[in-house]
Amino acid sequence: MIIYLLCLILFCCGLYCILRKRNIIKIILGIIIAEYAVNLFFILVAYRMEGRSPILSSEVEIVNMVDPLPQALVLTAIVIGLATTALLVALAMRIYEKYKTFDITKIKELRG
Amino acid sequence: MSKEHDKGMSLIVKVITRLTVGLILLYGIYIVLHGHVSPGGGFAGGVIIALSFVHLFLAYGKDVALKKLPKTAMSFFESMGAILFLSIALLGFTGGYFFLNFISKGEPFRLFSAGIIPLCNIAISLKVGAGLFAIFVVLVLLKFEWEKKE
Repeated sequence: MIIYLLCLILFCCGLYCILRKRNIIKIILGIIIAEYAVNLFFILVAYRMEGRSPILSSEVEIVNMVDPLPQALVLTAIVIGLATTALLVALAMRIYEKYKTFDITKIKELRG
Repeated sequence: MSKEHDKGMSLIVKVITRLTVGLILLYGIYIVLHGHVSPGGGFAGGVIIALSFVHLFLAYGKDVALKKLPKTAMSFFESMGAILFLSIALLGFTGGYFFLNFISKGEPFRLFSAGIIPLCNIAISLKVGAGLFAIFVVLVLLKFEWEKKE
């Protein structure tokens, strides 16, 4: 039970980073931390005591393996997270090019 | 030193890069080809292949890396990966349904087995490798253009 709570704490760290920080790069880091906390939670839910990885092999006969479905889900989530992170970084670079700052409180005027 | 060694990082980094970049590329190809019998697969191998080119880009500067894999080749490989994957999936209609494994499955745990899955892995690795390197190049070139404008 405690590891799920630790996962929640990690997610809250990411959420704090998103809501409280003013630098765009730090906000992006917060998004990444929150995302990976959710991924870690999925993997921990799928874990079974003394289970081995769900990969068939010719030497060992599998008696007890962890749930492979959340792992496939998390693999897809990592791929999508990579793409969204690249998009966020590109947007941050565009903002810096236009306003010459990463501070979100200084981005006020709506210039064409 | 010759002229192409002016840009990029120091000589130590360049020599180590020249030694390791081929090994990294080979390891990526190994991960892709063994995707159906061991952990890894198209995405992980594609990321490693892209990282080998990123390694070259960081050490030698943009001209050398873009000479090895020009932007047109990058977009060609990326589109080719998507089309290859789709056409493998569509070829299943010859036997019945979408994503039908129409090649013989072979013996389990061998390299040449599992029908269309290794081909799908190769298509995914082309797409991911070219796409990830394209993202990196675009982000870096954006910065260069901005610095030029100043």
